[in-house]
Amino acid sequence: MTLSRRDFLKLGALVTASAALSSCSPAQAYRRLAGDLPTVPWTALPASDFLALNRITFGARVEERARFVEIGLQAYIEEQLDFATINDLSCDLQLSTFDTLKMEANELEGISNQLFDGYDREKVPNELRQATFLRQLYSKRQLYEVMVEFWSDHFNIFMDKEKEFFLKTVDDRQVIRKHALGNFRDLVRASAHSPAMMIYLDNQANEKSHPNENYARELMELHTLGVDGGYSQKDVMELARCLTGWNVKEHFWLGDFVFKEDIHDTGEKNILGLSVQPSGIKEAEQVIEMLVTHPSTAKFICTKLARRFIADDPPAQLIEKAAQTFLNTNGDIKSVLRVILLDGLTLAQPKYKRPVNFLLSALRMLNVETDGIALHDYLVRMGQLYFNWPTPDGYPDYSEAWQGNLMPRWQFAFALIRDELKNTKHNLNALLDVSSTGILQDDVDAITSLLLGAPLERLTRDGIIDSVRAAGATEEETRQIIAASIIASPAFQWR
Amino acid sequence: MLTQIWLPRLSFAPVNTAPRGDTLVVVFLRGAADVLNMVVPHGEEAYYQLRPSLGITRPDDLRKKKEERTVDLDGFFGFHPNMSPLLEAWQSEQLAIIHACGAPDESRSHFKAMELMERGVDDERGPASGWIGRHLATLNTGNSSPLRAVGMGTRPQRSLSGSVPVSALRSIADFHLGGDQRALQQMRVALNTVYENDVLGQDTLSIMDTLQKLNVQNYQPPITNYPDTEFGLALKQTAMLIKAEVGLEVSAIDLGGWDTHFAQGSSAGLMPNLMKDLAEGLAAFHADMADHMSKLTTVTMSEFGRRASENGSLGTDHGHGSMMMVLGGNVDGGKVHGQWPGLGEGQLIGPGDLAVTTDYRDILSEILTKRLNNSATNEIFPEYQPKSLNVIL
Repeated sequence: MTLSRRDFLKLGALVTASAALSSCSPAQAYRRLAGDLPTVPWTALPASDFLALNRITFGARVEERARFVEIGLQAYIEEQLDFATINDLSCDLQLSTFDTLKMEANELEGISNQLFDGYDREKVPNELRQATFLRQLYSKRQLYEVMVEFWSDHFNIFMDKEKEFFLKTVDDRQVIRKHALGNFRDLVRASAHSPAMMIYLDNQANEKSHPNENYARELMELHTLGVDGGYSQKDVMELARCLTGWNVKEHFWLGDFVFKEDIHDTGEKNILGLSVQPSGIKEAEQVIEMLVTHPSTAKFICTKLARRFIADDPPAQLIEKAAQTFLNTNGDIKSVLRVILLDGLTLAQPKYKRPVNFLLSALRMLNVETDGIALHDYLVRMGQLYFNWPTPDGYPDYSEAWQGNLMPRWQFAFALIRDELKNTKHNLNALLDVSSTGILQDDVDAITSLLLGAPLERLTRDGIIDSVRAAGATEEETRQIIAASIIASPAFQWR
Repeated sequence: MLTQIWLPRLSFAPVNTAPRGDTLVVVFLRGAADVLNMVVPHGEEAYYQLRPSLGITRPDDLRKKKEERTVDLDGFFGFHPNMSPLLEAWQSEQLAIIHACGAPDESRSHFKAMELMERGVDDERGPASGWIGRHLATLNTGNSSPLRAVGMGTRPQRSLSGSVPVSALRSIADFHLGGDQRALQQMRVALNTVYENDVLGQDTLSIMDTLQKLNVQNYQPPITNYPDTEFGLALKQTAMLIKAEVGLEVSAIDLGGWDTHFAQGSSAGLMPNLMKDLAEGLAAFHADMADHMSKLTTVTMSEFGRRASENGSLGTDHGHGSMMMVLGGNVDGGKVHGQWPGLGEGQLIGPGDLAVTTDYRDILSEILTKRLNNSATNEIFPEYQPKSLNVIL
């Protein structure tokens, strides 16, 4: 799966040559050359393997299935956890033109501020949303991207609030992506120093003469201890006092974190039984240290992780074991994930695909090539546009929250297969060339095996074929309609 | 294989059979609305001491322009100026206000408070379904329409969850498959096959058929214009569905953005804009539905209220007591109901919050029993004994 340096150079030369010859951009040329159209047929998978793959990835591509079969669950998890060694060149190249992803806040503001020439209010958020989508679609570091999504929910920021439309880009890079598979303590600390988070939860307005409780509360309720983690309203108010002065620079240095001594409350505080002596910025740091190592935090984070990967109502024993690992390793995310996946996947219960997961799984399984722009509208209609959840709890992660809005899913399935989405093309026929005989029944088996893990029972399969044929469809139309209806089907809505 | 065998659908027979009553519209103000600036206790001196910057001036305070002053309702309470589109409903006695009401939960957490309130329970041990879901499940109205209850938006609200499947509806105009007739017909057949044993899928197909018959593009509200917002659209679509007589019994609508810790604005700004959306929307709905008011009840609620005193960032932190409004043809309107606990010293609770003197379930129970013909409030709000305030005539 990985490219050697020699391959890379060869590819580079080809891209340069073909980009010069045709009018397409280097990114497009790379996509064509590096596009992983499988060359080997896929086989049916046991349900448990298909499920495991669909928890670790946003929906398994053919080559991911093959790799999983080749090395087995445990090695596959290890390979994915060791994400930095996975060559992700083709994905990186897709993003090469998105220059705002690497910018600092003041540069981003330059683009977004209407006082300046060439100002474009939408460029920064659009690039971040598109990049998020393209990474989920094309990155080979799938587990890493799944965790990036998880933490983006956990430390949710709403891009529509004030300056978040460009500050979130920095938070995404410096907080979420930097620590997604690192250490939980670093993650919380980075988030607490993130200007985007300070502004989102109003800590820039938290001053000694008039504290603002918003960030202090969510830091305990949503980021660490959990609502039943054992803190009181008094603790919220005391932590808010510790956090007075945690602030954001303005004007030219906009978007840098700053501790403002002059608005910090220098009195003594007491939080969760810990007496905090006046020590400026160190006070909240001390409390954060206590929070990230607190047993309630371990339990809360492990419950959420198990809910994402295993079941809406994850088994208590699994949470307990993962929480113990969390405490023993001082919040090492990889160690915790290892427990949750290796111990938990056999206990997994069905999870209804959230909209992003639904779209991505169809696109990935069918090797769809897209720039993602046409999918934006579907995410809006299904209710999961990136970074658009207004409240700090992040998009819900239990199945029932997402059931009951089937229509946009059907619309997407229908439009995708009919190639009606702009700049979006599926490769169904090329895929079938690799893995089927061209006989309609075999093609339907191959399609359902690809999308659902294994072919349908013969009776069910023939029933669908007959019904569509009876509606007057040609063989070619039948193939398409069945592919669309499998994506739209109840079974495909679950992962 | 194609149907999802794990689907956790409890089904139990409804305990009551009754003709359907009013259509119920439930508006949830998400984020804990600052009700003290919506229905202002201008007769209370403490209010102005607690809110030197944010307070809405007295109706007779001539130092401020008229459009910045409280609009008096009863000599003690008054509307924020941006709530005044609702004056007409108030004067026609079809709008009742219940102040200082809410839930017992004092976590001051949005998410916990919303969840408990939408489930209609005191704590986590109660049933997981929502209070509206249990209302639907416990009452057989002989109505099998897939549009019996609708969650306006992209996801059905938690309050709707339960054994009766409920669909979300963001846009009626958008609720169809595009494409040529031939392909459409084939897809329709295929969907029908793969969703053969799935209630939600069958409901979606049948909603698609029903809505196709509505002439959405040409719907002109006869009297009034709804605000051009998601909230306005949700109300307008509710009105359309009621008039089209497609079996709508409950419409759940969200209006978010009320978590105003920072610079919420007093007479103008962030929160006043939300009030404008809310009041203009409800006023338009009230006018549009004038001929249907005898069979229509609308209720607004929020997970809790906000701190009585303003914070230093010209906003308000999480508080406790909230406010509900009930709009309908059978409401004891033009009146502020409930016992006012006061804002003075010794009257506030916790870190300085409005007390709760009326449980939100008292109001909902009254609506359920008197207007929706459902007396199973002991199942809808388990372990709660509702008291009647006679908000409904």
